[in-house]
Order: sequence, then structure tokens, then C-alpha cells
Amino acid sequence: MATELRRAFAELGSAIEPVASSVAKVGERLPPQKPYFISYSVADAESVTITSQYGAIMNSNETHERTADVQVRIGSPAQDNTHDAHRTSALTTMALPLTDDRAAIERTLWYATNRGYGKALDALEKVKTEQQVRAREEDSSPDFTIERPQVDILPPEPPLSVDRSAWESRLREISGVFRQYPNIFYDTAVLQATHETDYFVSSDGTKVAAPNHVARLIVAARTRASDGMDMFRDETFEADSAGHLPDQAEVMAKTQAMAKGLNDLRTAPITEPYNGPAILSGRAAAVFFHEVLGHRLEGQRQRGDEEGETFTKLLGKPILPEFLSVADDPTLTQYNGSPLSGHYLFDDEGQPAQRVQLVQDGVLQTFLMSRLPIAGFANSNGHGRAETGKMPTGRQGNLIVTSTKAVSDAKLRQMLKDAARKQGKTYGLYFEDISSGFAVTTRRSPQAFQVIPLVVYRVYVDGRPDELVRGVSIVGTPQAALRSIVATDDQPQIFNGLCGAESGTIPVSAVAPAMLVSQIETQRQAQGTARPPIVPPPPLDEAANSTSSPKGGR
Amino acid sequence: MKLRALLLLPVFGSLALAEVPQPADPILAAMQQELAREKSDLVIPGMLRPYFIQYRLEDIHTYDAIASYGALTRETESHQRVVRVEVRIGSEISDSSSARGDGSLELAPADGDPAVLKYALWSATDDAYKNALRAYATKQATLKTFQSAPTANDFTPAKAVTLVEPLATMTLDRDDWKHRLIEASGIFATSPETRSFAETVQYSSASISALVVNRYTVNTDGTMLRRGYSGYTEGVSVGGQADDGMNLGRSNGSVATTAAGLESDAALNKRVIDDLISFNELRHAPIVDAEDYHGPVLFSGDASAEVFNRLFVPSVEADRPDIGTSARMQGAYQSSYKTPILPTFLSVVDDPTLRSFEGHALLGAYKVDDEGVPVEPVDIVVHGKLMNYLVGRQPVKDFPESNGHGRAALGQSAHSRAGVIIIKSSEPLSAEALRARLLALAKEQGRDVYSVETLGGELAPRLLYRVSPDGKRTLVRGAVFDELDQRAIRSGILAAGGKPYVAQQVGTVPGTTIAPELLFADITVKRANEEQQKVPYYPPPALPKD
Repeated sequence: MATELRRAFAELGSAIEPVASSVAKVGERLPPQKPYFISYSVADAESVTITSQYGAIMNSNETHERTADVQVRIGSPAQDNTHDAHRTSALTTMALPLTDDRAAIERTLWYATNRGYGKALDALEKVKTEQQVRAREEDSSPDFTIERPQVDILPPEPPLSVDRSAWESRLREISGVFRQYPNIFYDTAVLQATHETDYFVSSDGTKVAAPNHVARLIVAARTRASDGMDMFRDETFEADSAGHLPDQAEVMAKTQAMAKGLNDLRTAPITEPYNGPAILSGRAAAVFFHEVLGHRLEGQRQRGDEEGETFTKLLGKPILPEFLSVADDPTLTQYNGSPLSGHYLFDDEGQPAQRVQLVQDGVLQTFLMSRLPIAGFANSNGHGRAETGKMPTGRQGNLIVTSTKAVSDAKLRQMLKDAARKQGKTYGLYFEDISSGFAVTTRRSPQAFQVIPLVVYRVYVDGRPDELVRGVSIVGTPQAALRSIVATDDQPQIFNGLCGAESGTIPVSAVAPAMLVSQIETQRQAQGTARPPIVPPPPLDEAANSTSSPKGGR
Repeated sequence: MKLRALLLLPVFGSLALAEVPQPADPILAAMQQELAREKSDLVIPGMLRPYFIQYRLEDIHTYDAIASYGALTRETESHQRVVRVEVRIGSEISDSSSARGDGSLELAPADGDPAVLKYALWSATDDAYKNALRAYATKQATLKTFQSAPTANDFTPAKAVTLVEPLATMTLDRDDWKHRLIEASGIFATSPETRSFAETVQYSSASISALVVNRYTVNTDGTMLRRGYSGYTEGVSVGGQADDGMNLGRSNGSVATTAAGLESDAALNKRVIDDLISFNELRHAPIVDAEDYHGPVLFSGDASAEVFNRLFVPSVEADRPDIGTSARMQGAYQSSYKTPILPTFLSVVDDPTLRSFEGHALLGAYKVDDEGVPVEPVDIVVHGKLMNYLVGRQPVKDFPESNGHGRAALGQSAHSRAGVIIIKSSEPLSAEALRARLLALAKEQGRDVYSVETLGGELAPRLLYRVSPDGKRTLVRGAVFDELDQRAIRSGILAAGGKPYVAQQVGTVPGTTIAPELLFADITVKRANEEQQKVPYYPPPALPKD
């Protein structure tokens, strides 16, 4: 403990010194272009990743990295080198020594700061020129907020310890489930466990060290129907450490259900065009709110010239039915006893995490703010987040949707049937699971924020059993659906996952109850035309227990 | 189990050009089983069957460590297995293949589960077959738009080969090397020879990189291979700026087939000090003349090997010509068969069967190439004339047979690549004689001449000396070469030395080039005129006093 504490102090001390010296000395030589802000953000991360497929380990490795993100800002908070398209000009990223070698750490930070200063000078010139030749900007807010310094040195994470061989055995068993499903042509079970300590020091006096640990188990699979349509399912388990992940029996049961569900989906009938009432399960509603509302309430989206639609004009106006409220609360570590992965203590700009009431009784209150101001909002609300190596922007943490018009599941289902009947439909739709850039997919295009239904049932009004359908896609802008929410259930569900956008991939959570929507329009999705495999797959059961290493092996 | 494995290995450790025995290696066995199944069943009714299928599994083990300013900054290790499947549709005369090379990749299980391996092969085979069908149709349609037929077939037949070599394993004392890297990268601040200018050293890093690959190959020719190679690379990089802002750096290293073959601890430290001293000399060295120099330049063996690797080697590796043209192949020597491309006193051979040279184990050595063809030495240039190209199983005009040079980068298809290139002079001069020859030229022409020790990327000189007629050497900086091209090596080499330099690289395909010093008659030395960056905006933190 004591050694670790000394280590943290040694590193922070060495980090602060060059900040001070660079501000002073750069200023001496070039008085007009003294940086007004420098920050060092260091992520000291240890992680273990183990990947398996079909009951075999594909990859298993451990890493330890220390990365410094150095920010240099020149000009003034009103206008600096990060203006408009030059946002990344403030950032220089460099690997830091893995040991607490003070001289080497200092010299590395010097090298990065010197480079960063050069980049910032160049960008500031460009910013000034561009301002001369362009028309007045719609949002003439400053480029950087002014915040009170934060000082909070929390103890660093202890070294990561994961029983790799035990987890390799567990993953073999989990992904081995798919051996019974020859038509599932891709599957993976991945364990990721990370211990990270984030250090942040800045020239405005902030000095923060905050630990962070998470373990995640992701199971994903893909299949293809005989007509070429691809279908995907995934299941994510989240905990603060690998030891606290659900036990093997629970994971196996969920994996088996998922595999069976995906296999059933392969042969499910294809959807028909539909325009009528639907229920989004809690999980589906959580993903839906994260993508469709949460991303659009990120502060910086209200500002740039290129962002099409902004919510600025809707401030103080209803954007949801009045029984719904939405908050983003990264200070929560769990919800009803389940861990939330969007939890953090300080954001990536050294600001303390805060609960932000985004929507109160249906009315838009504020945005998710980083230190990039927008018209009407001059301060961060602790949501400046980024992956290491990226510039922070306003991002979600734990998005929590609450309802004052909650009914039981059975009642909500009855309401769906009633609404369908009233609209002259033989069935309503039940969206059990929907996907997005949220999950483990590789899609990272930030403008997407679209939702792709994965598991959809027809709920017949005449009492026939529910029928699984495939190929459902939502027509038109999904925001329309937000306004037509009629009621919710009383069982909020949690979705933990990774979210990708301009400032990189970060862990997030979303919590929402199931929702009844009066009107949603769907059609058949555009599907792949790839022919299913020609030769049947080789049998996967023959050698299920011969996982010994090869002769003469490693 | 371990004991049995050891006993089994020597039995398969020899090259046998015979029928395929039942492989003892479970990976090869699984690959053959899936290959047999696909060979018999893979066809879409009414479409063509594959005429050739090859499976290659690569077991790739890497380790990298980097230290900077005397502290370790990165240590990574990875171990993974990838399968690559190549499927050809059509016939050897004209098939589905493209110049780029075609195939499908899948991850394979790291723990050797044969059922999962077969599944990965099955999935990649399906993908490769469908792609090949599409490519074949497109290519046949494209060929119809051209007047003349291609100048060579698409593929060469090959005999079945079985070669099962012992597995390559990584042997590296990691703690020892980490310690060495930490020490080497921190020398600038601690060594008495360099302490005086340590402030001007902007970066100082040292690295070790180990790559161990085991390749398993089976194909429908009946070939079955298990071969491995290892490459260990150690490097240091130091540098900074001259007072006028010019970026100056020294980086070099050693490459070997074993960690033990790398430079010793003491040699590494000495090299770092030499690099730092020469960096400091460069900082104070005069800039090369503003006006161009055209005249004699003596290239060290190191610099000569670099010149040949850039200008010569890629042009004798036969890559398929663009579709629709009547060219033999790509590159500068495509129509130079049996014509002079070097002076008559130089000959070049590629001999991958040469396993070591003057105590160096050679990275470019191999027995059978990645297309299952045994390799023999190839006389590329005989007394200055180009007599052979390096050819794989994609033939070119006048060279219908592979000479065992189909070599593949990791995860890629095979292309024609050199193995061990040896450039040799029939009239070698001693180092003294070569220097005397250079000084004689200086006297004869009544001016200073140049001598280059090492090159950076793009054939730019790193350590270039101006040599006066009386033999005085002055280090200069800021120069680039011009007119260093195929013409210069054809008709501009006056003499060659007798002391060969062994240049090795792990690269994408491991290779070795052995070259003597070369004296060029007429090379242009110009001032680089690069934009000079600002010197540091503020000084580095003070170094700790000891």
C-alpha cells in the first residue's frame, strides 16, 4: 500500500514539475504565445484478454501500458488552437515508462509537450486565418470552459490478478456450447479484465488520481439463414472484477438460451411491413435511449457547423411524454444491486463525475457537457470522456430512464394487444433485443446511432403463442418513436456495454423500463445475398475432449 | 509425452520427395483430413471445381520490448494462429488468381483443438471458393477485351514434397534483455563520453523484437510441410537536432536467427556510445555544399547492400505483369534478359541453401519455399549479364518453372522473393586498395570526393564523409544522393571490395543480402534543403546528478 502511494506521488510530482517549467519557460521565449493551459493525463492500465471460439482458446494475453495524453492550449479560452476542426491539435499521446523512473518520465513528458506546443502553434495560426475568411459562426461560444481546480489523490489500483487458466477452462466450456449448433458459423466468448489508475494534472491546479476496475465477459454469435440473411446475438456480463462475474452455471444457461434463440431465429419467418403498436423490452429500451436520445444530447453536437440537427431550440420544451425523466449519473456504481459500467469518479478532463438531469418530466433541461462550451452552457458537468489517445467530448456514463406511469408486465402486454386491436391489427410487435454500435460489433461510425432490431416477436391479439420473426428494420427517424411512448413497465433493465464515438470507445450503461409505443413503422431489412456454405461443416463433436497440446508442441 | 515427441522429430527431420506418410503431427493431420473432404465435396452444381487448394497455418509468436531514456516503456507478447486458404479455379493455363494473390484468412485455435481448426479451414475454404468463382468469371471477361493472350501461364505444376522440420521455439532471456535495453537507452545521460552533450539528445531508445513462426502447409499436390523460422532484431535509436533545426539521428541494430546471435551486451553499449558520439559529431558537422557534386563516392558494404536491396533485388523478383500487356513481368529488368545490368566483374547469386556465412546464421535460408518447391541456388547475374529471374509458381515468359522463390509474408499469398543474395566481384580489391583508388580519383580530378558509411531510408546518407585528396575525412550533414539508380549500378561501378557485409532483415519475408564495398564513378551529392523544424521551445528537464 505504502509503496503504491509513494509511486503515485512520485509520478504526479514529476508530472507537475514540467508543467510549471514549460509554462514559465515557453512564455519567456515567446511572450505572446504562452500556453494558457497544459494538462497531463496518464492512464496506467493492466489488462487481461482471453478469446475463445467453439470451445478452443484463440488468444490469451496480458498487457501493462502507461500512456500520457498531453494537452497544450494556446490563445485564450475564448479562442484557442482547438477551435472547430482543429480540436485534436491540443493532444499529443506518448507511451510512458512502466516503472517509476522519474527522470525518464519527465523527459518523455518534455518531449511530448514540446511537440504538442509546436502543433498547437501551427493550429492556432490556421484557426486565426480561417476566422478571417469565414462568415460568423452560429454558435460563437468560447473554446474552453473555466473550472475550479480539483485535488483528490485516491489510492491507485492494486495489481491485476486473474486466474487465467481457470478462465480459459470456463471460456472453453462457454464457447463450446456453440459446437452443438453447426449453423452458427461464428461465435466468440471473450473475457476482458482491467485495472486502471488515471492520473490527471493541469496547469490550472487540478491534481487527481482515480482508480477504476472492470471485468467483462462477452458472448457473441452469428448465423446466416438459407436466404443469405445474417443474424447476430450477444450477451454481456459485467462486474467490478473477474471474480465477481456471474457464476458458470448462470453464464452457461444464458449462453445456451442465446444459442438456441439464434438458431431458432435462422428459420423464423421473415417480417412483413408493419405500422402499429410495439413494446420495447427494458434492455431494448435502454439501448434505444442511449443511441437515439443520449448521443444527441452530447453538448458538442449542438455546436458544430456539420452537426445536422441540434436540440438547442428544444431546451425547456417537451421532447418526451411527461411521465418520463432521463438522468445521466456516473456516480452510481450499481443499480438495484447490479454493477454499472458507466461509473467513474473523475472524467477525462479532471472534473468530478456528476449526476445530470437531462430530461425532467419530459422537458429537456440540459446537455452532457465536457469542457467545450456551447451557447448557454459555459461549464462542464463532468461528462468529458475519451478513450486514451483521444480528445474528450461530452459523453454518456450511466443513462437512467425513469417513469411515473409504470404498470406490470402483464398489463403492458394487454395494453399492446388492445392497441393493436384498436388499430385493426392481428398482432403487435415485441422487441426483445436491439443492437447498435453499443455492443461488440465493430461498427464505430459515430453518425450511425441507429438501432437494429435483433429479436422481435409478433404478439397476436387472439391469444395465439408469440411468433418469432426475423429481418425487422425500423423505418424513418427513430426519434419519432420517443414521442409516442404510451406507458412503461415497472422492471427497469440494465444494459452494460462499450460505446464508440468521436472520442473513442468507452464503457457505458443504460437503464430503462420496458415501453409501449403506440406507433412504430417497420419494414424488411436489406439483407445479404451471400450463399450459405457449400460443404456441410466438419463435425465439431468428434474431438470435443481432445484439447491436449500437439506432439512436439510448445 | 514430451519424451516421445523428442524421439519422433529426427525421423521427420529430413527432406523426402516421396509419397505422403500419415502425419504424426495432429495439426497436419487435421489439415489433411479437411483438405481431403473439401477436395472431394467442394463444388456448386454446374460450376467449376477447384483444381488446386492449399492450406497454410501460421503459428506466430512475437515478443517486443522498448526502453526509452533508461526506462522500459513497452513490453508485449502475442501468440496466435491463423489459417490461410488458397483456392484456384480454372486451369494452370488460366485461372482465378490475380497479381495481388488471393486467399481467405481465419483465426485458428491457439490450443490446437483439431475440430475447431477444421471448422476454421472449412469456413475459410467456403469463402475462398466463392471468391475464386467470382474472380474467375471477372478475369475471363476482362481477358476477352484484350487483343493478345497473356505472356505466361497462371500457375506451374509442382511435385509432392514432404518436409517436417523440428518446431521453432522462442529462446530469449527477457529479463536480461530488458535490463540491457534500459541500460542502453539511458547511456546518453550516464556515460562519461556522452554526458557533456546529453542535453541535446532529444530521443534515446532501444528495442528488442523476437518473431518465431511455425508454418504448416498442405495442398492438393500432396505436399505436406512443417517449417519454422526465427528472427531476433535488436535496435537503438538516438537523435535530436542541430542548432539550425536539422533533424539528425542514428539508428542501427543487429538481426540474427537466435538471440545469442545478436550483439553482446558490451558490443551493444559500445555501439550506443558510438552512435551518440557520431550524433554529436553530426550536430557540429558542416552542411554539405550548396552546389551539387557529381563524382566518385565510395559505398561501404552496409551502404552497398542497401543500394542493392532497393535498386536490384525487387527488379529480379518476377512479379506478374499487368493484365493485357505483353510485358514479361513488373520492374526495371523486365526486358533485360541476357543483357548487361551490372559491370562484368560482378556476379549475383541467390542461394537460400546457404545456411551460414562467416559465422552468421542466415535469415534468408530455407529448403522448400512457401509453395512447396525445393530451392536451389540461382545464378541471377553472371559477369554482369542477367541470366535468371527469381520465380515462384506464377511463371513469367521464358521461365515456365518455379525455381523455389515463392515466398509469403505472414497471412499473405506467395510472391517471388529473394532469399540469400550474394554479390561478388571477380576482381576484389582490399579495403586499402579501394581507398587508394578513391584518393587517386580525387587527385586526378583535383577535388574532394565522398565516402558513405551508412544509409537511412530512401537511400539517403546518414554518415557521409568528404574525403580530400590527401585522405582527410570530414563528416558532413544534410546531404541526399541523386542519380543513384539502375544506370549507376549498370555502368557506374568502378571497383568492388573483397570484404562482404552481411545485411539481414526479418521484414515481411526474411532475407539476407551479402555485398562488398562499391566504388561508384559518378553519383550526385546534393543539399537536402528540407524544411528545418524549430529547435526545442524549452530545454529538457535537468538530468539527475550522480
